[in-house]
Amino acid sequence: MTEREDSLDPIIEILREPAGLRADLTDRVMSEVDRLPPPGIAALDRVRWWRRTWTIRLSPVRGLGLAAGLAVLALGVHLAGRRAGPATPPGAERAPEGQPIQFVLIAPEAQAVAVVGDFNDWSMSATPLARTLGDGVWHVTIPLGPGRYRYAFVVNGAIWRNDPEAPAAEDEFGRANSVVTVGGS
Amino acid sequence: MKEESDGALLRRVLSGEPRTYARLVDRYQARLGRYALRMLGNKDDAEDAVQDTFIRAYRSLGRCEGDGFGPWVFGILVNRCRTHATKRARTQGVIVRSEVALATASVASSEGRDALRDAIDWALKQLPAEQREAFLLKHVEDMSYEAMETVTGVRPATLRMRVFRARDELRKLLAETVRD
Amino acid sequence: MRLGMIPLWLLIAATPPMARGQEPRLLGRVPDPARAQVDAILDAARVRGLPVEPLVDRALEGATKGAPPAAIVAAVTRLRDELVVVSRAFGETASTAELTAGASALRAGAGADDLARLRRLRPGRPLTVAAAVMADLVAAGVAADTAAGAVLALAQNADDADYIAFRRNVQRDIELGASPAAALAVRIRSATDLSSTPGSETMPGTGASRKRKP
Repeated sequence: MTEREDSLDPIIEILREPAGLRADLTDRVMSEVDRLPPPGIAALDRVRWWRRTWTIRLSPVRGLGLAAGLAVLALGVHLAGRRAGPATPPGAERAPEGQPIQFVLIAPEAQAVAVVGDFNDWSMSATPLARTLGDGVWHVTIPLGPGRYRYAFVVNGAIWRNDPEAPAAEDEFGRANSVVTVGGS
Repeated sequence: MKEESDGALLRRVLSGEPRTYARLVDRYQARLGRYALRMLGNKDDAEDAVQDTFIRAYRSLGRCEGDGFGPWVFGILVNRCRTHATKRARTQGVIVRSEVALATASVASSEGRDALRDAIDWALKQLPAEQREAFLLKHVEDMSYEAMETVTGVRPATLRMRVFRARDELRKLLAETVRD
Repeated sequence: MRLGMIPLWLLIAATPPMARGQEPRLLGRVPDPARAQVDAILDAARVRGLPVEPLVDRALEGATKGAPPAAIVAAVTRLRDELVVVSRAFGETASTAELTAGASALRAGAGADDLARLRRLRPGRPLTVAAAVMADLVAAGVAADTAAGAVLALAQNADDADYIAFRRNVQRDIELGASPAAALAVRIRSATDLSSTPGSETMPGTGASRKRKP
């Protein structure tokens, strides 16, 4: 089997012609780059950079409601920036039977949040989340034996949300899933 | 003045000169653009993919070391093109005929050459995506199989097979248009 | 994936009448034309020795998501077919969790022979997390054969915690902007390279410190 044959050479020659993309491509990339934190800084610093940028861009003369909303957002960004720790549903480690797994969703606008999944018969009523101090952070902890469990959050009984902290999982019914895997036999 | 290496430019960007990134973008956009155009089949999608690739590369620039910016950013582009193709297949169905408008006003194109170009674009589109990908990286971008493994995450043996099949298929599809 | 399935009618005919029943959890949740069909699939699965739990879960998922009855039956059927393939690859002693994870890996594009190889490379050890990580990597954008190759490369030496950490690292790299191929290549290199010295983890394509795959 030869790697290169003459009959394809004219084809390849044509394929090597330049694409002729827009002349301002570099400018467009750089204008986006200007809005980003400098690369090479650690993940936590990146979160701080975003929060500082948010604060700088805001006018000081705003209503109390907006400030409260921002505080929640900042908390959300902070929690989203964390990659380890109890707030993240762990795809866990070697586990005894029924390891406690915590599910968290930030939904300040919600009146009710439930988690539905392979571990509770996909029931809307089996596993409601609780809210801490009215700040929009919903959570629940349930024991799960070893296995792979697909799930999703349902807000106000109707709005389906994925878990931003968890890997995505297959779905064939038109509503995407998240997944948590618990180790052990 | 001797041109700075990729590694030197990279170090400058990472040590506090973000605007220097523009020089890496200038250096690689033609190659990335060519691959994206051949892979995706039209300029708009190719431009989106290339822009998106450079932004993503910038955001995670700290993970790229030494003089490896080229293969590394190519790897990002290859993946963007894969994801893009999946999206398009879902929304638009299979594209039968290429819509490529080829480059460079400076090259005077005869009708025959245009027809050949169209035929090539069409033939490329008939290949399964992974064969097209391997063929372009090997024969248009002139990568070694080792570099291709880095860029695609696929074993060289599998890549060789895909290139072989792609060449075979292209020869068959273009049998009437290829001149000896 | 075409399988040599025993015809459903034969399995049901072979089931003692007492064993045929209604799965109570489906009552009131899965609409009636679908429910009877799903019950039949469950009966046949029991006869085959397949776990019915994942099939019930799939039907209930469809019901909660408001899927049309035909879609629910199709989904349960598809999962049942996958469980058959996985039980052949993993063996008769595979747990429900292993079979379910294996089915997800198949759905993601792994081959039955990949799963069989996974079983051979990890005799006596649970396969749930390995198979789950295979599926998760594909969901993150890694090509199916690459994901399978990565999981198999780790199969002999990794424990569950290693697999989870590997998947998390690849996921994080991707979220920070790396291509899935590059993220995986870096992580698999550092995970399988036994002779790596501290600080030698480099991006692919770099010069002197690039290591050969064992």
